[in-house]
Amino acid sequence: MTAIPTLLAIILASFFLMRLAPGGPFDGERPLPPETQAALQTAYGLDKPLWEQAWLYVSRLVQGDFGPSLVYRDFTVSELVAQGLPISLTLGGLAITLALLIGISAGLFAAVRAGKAADKTIMMLATVATALPTFVTGPALALLLGLWLGLLPVSGRGEGWSWLIMPVVALALPVSGAIAKLTRAGLATVLKQDHIRTARARGLSETKILFKHGLRPALVPVASYLGPAAAGLLTGAVVVETVFGLPGLGRYFVQGALNRDYPLVLGVVTLYAALIILFNLFADLIYGWLDPRMREG
Amino acid sequence: MSLYEIRDMAIQIDGKRLVEGVNISVEAGKCTAIIGASGSGKSLSCLTPFGLTPGEALGSIKLDGIELIGADAHQMHKARSRLTGFVFQQPLTALTPHLTIGAQLQEAAAQAGPSRLSRHELVQKLERVGLSRADERLDQFPHRLSGGERQRVMIAAAIAHRPKLLIADEPTSALDASLRGEIMALLDELRAEQGLAMLLVSHDLASVEGHSDDLIVMDQGRVVESGSTADIIANPQEDYTKRLMAATPRLTEPAPDLPAVGNMLMETEAVTVIFPRPGWRRGKIEAVVDASLTLSEGEAVAIVGGSGSGKSTLGRAIAGIGPLTSGTINWQGEVLPERRARSLAMRRLIQPVFQDPVASLDPQWRVSDIVAEPLKNLRPDLLRADRDGMVEKALDDVGLGAEYLERVPTSLSGGQAQRVAIARAIIAGPQLLVLDEATSALDPLVGSSILQLLAQLQRANGLTIIFITHDIASARRLCHRIVVLDEGRIVEMGDMAAVIEHPNADTTKRLIAAS
Repeated sequence: MTAIPTLLAIILASFFLMRLAPGGPFDGERPLPPETQAALQTAYGLDKPLWEQAWLYVSRLVQGDFGPSLVYRDFTVSELVAQGLPISLTLGGLAITLALLIGISAGLFAAVRAGKAADKTIMMLATVATALPTFVTGPALALLLGLWLGLLPVSGRGEGWSWLIMPVVALALPVSGAIAKLTRAGLATVLKQDHIRTARARGLSETKILFKHGLRPALVPVASYLGPAAAGLLTGAVVVETVFGLPGLGRYFVQGALNRDYPLVLGVVTLYAALIILFNLFADLIYGWLDPRMREG
Repeated sequence: MSLYEIRDMAIQIDGKRLVEGVNISVEAGKCTAIIGASGSGKSLSCLTPFGLTPGEALGSIKLDGIELIGADAHQMHKARSRLTGFVFQQPLTALTPHLTIGAQLQEAAAQAGPSRLSRHELVQKLERVGLSRADERLDQFPHRLSGGERQRVMIAAAIAHRPKLLIADEPTSALDASLRGEIMALLDELRAEQGLAMLLVSHDLASVEGHSDDLIVMDQGRVVESGSTADIIANPQEDYTKRLMAATPRLTEPAPDLPAVGNMLMETEAVTVIFPRPGWRRGKIEAVVDASLTLSEGEAVAIVGGSGSGKSTLGRAIAGIGPLTSGTINWQGEVLPERRARSLAMRRLIQPVFQDPVASLDPQWRVSDIVAEPLKNLRPDLLRADRDGMVEKALDDVGLGAEYLERVPTSLSGGQAQRVAIARAIIAGPQLLVLDEATSALDPLVGSSILQLLAQLQRANGLTIIFITHDIASARRLCHRIVVLDEGRIVEMGDMAAVIEHPNADTTKRLIAAS
């Protein structure tokens, strides 16, 4: 129930913060004549008091109108978002799936081999993966797989699906490292608990004990990480989309911010915020499934 | 030959021998019990043969003709899952939280073979262990059930595949006194009905007496004494067994000599504590309703009841560390205000001691800081040197020397930690101690030494005591009067000896029978 006030607070904070930044949408290299500037300001309602503009923005937003783009003048923000969103969602969705797959299996494997060389190696790799920023892994991947080996397209959308591989891997790597660590730690706690001994006393195989009795409660920390992870993926996508030249939301976000395209930036922020809130709600639902005790406050 | 026969077993962990020279035999339809303090190796001896501890067993262990030492995986699997069922101590944590009762019962039954049980059969299994509304329970998760109900589910699961041997590791230790009797009776019944051999582990003589045929007493990894239960209890040979028996409080022991009682100290009038029900369901929980009792100087009063009876909530309300919805607490004629409004002097008057001594001490702090803390808050006027002197004095009062000052709680045993907790409670010179199950989590020997310490303090410092417990026999060693609580209401109140002689309320009768 707190989702809507949270969203509103984010929108208003971004609205006012952005206006604090110097410059405006119509400052080009060649300054426009003052009367043209004034006409543009009036046309887009930028001459009204700030609070009134904020009110107008929010009331239009409620009706689903994100307003016009101030820089890409032939497009509305909704049109730009409609172009970029599918690409960003595909990237983000695939990245989180990949990160969960890699992270949970690596964590499981490490937990089963606790204390052995495999465990230590996996945990070290997970630390490295978490620490490496996407603006390093992205270009490094492009250099290795794209330029030197020539296996995958370096930039833009080529034929088929191969263009997705590198951006998704670059995005997923840091998240998968964190998930591997959380899974490993969660399992280490759960596997010591009494109910695992009960399962073992029933003569179940170790694999069955791990998957049926151990894994679900061990994934609770992973579920709480999903919300922040989604945020990380969306903001990480900004870098990855720029590195790989993909027309996703991230690129509009950065260009919008640089050009002071207020409605475009606000539109993307609103969308990102909504997605992150949605992900947190989703994580709450997953909690209840992982551990039924959490269904009761 | 016995169904289960252990000959000259030793157990080692990482090359260290923890258990040596253990012989156990259990026959079909009979029960062999092992008792001993914690750390005596009793649980280790029961669980290690089945690979359920990190230890390694040596010697000879035969179950239904199968030698378990050096058994291959197939034989071990057969011994563990077909022939044996297990009931563990902690019903709260021994069931998997995310699987329904039905799923866990089904899994347990599958040890006998791959055929699935019908829902009707599952219901019958739950009904057999005395669970009401069995059909509904099948779809519930374990956390919806009470401790006693969960232990019944554990028992149903342990015998679902019709094993020949049942290993019960402290099956009743985590339950309150009246439930203990019920669960032990259920185990006896099932044993007779199915011809089960049962190996029972306990630290509590009372739950072994009358339920086991043979008894093994263990101490520090060795068998001290073994033989028929009735013989050992009637005529213990070894010194350790005698001390263990003397330490276990019983209602048949002679009444203790209690100090004289002075003037009226405290009086509660219609104390009521109501909690909002957790979760989405509306409603309230009446934890304590209209509790009125009196307390005189130097008097010890036992507040007794089963779990969930509201006895701890009442104690907390009096000590000013828990909520109080309505009612008043009068202290020598003055009304004690709600907890936040109490002055330092008022807080100093009443000090609590809790059940789990290790958990109630901050693991990061040294003993000297823990004991000094009440002084820092309640007596800010004192100088550091005076404070240090008082800390040593308080430790000395509870029987701990100056060498404990620098220790941290994790390096203390349960009994030592409880002594530190008591030192912390008495250092600021309180008049009333509220002891919430202060001896329940301790072994009988340690628990009885804490009871002795309390009796000493009661005399030396003229302390008034509220002793909250589910065990009337322990309370009898210390208390003049008894207050029995059931579902938040006082159901009986009076002189300790008189109430034990002629109990009126059903709850009281049940608790006395369980002691």
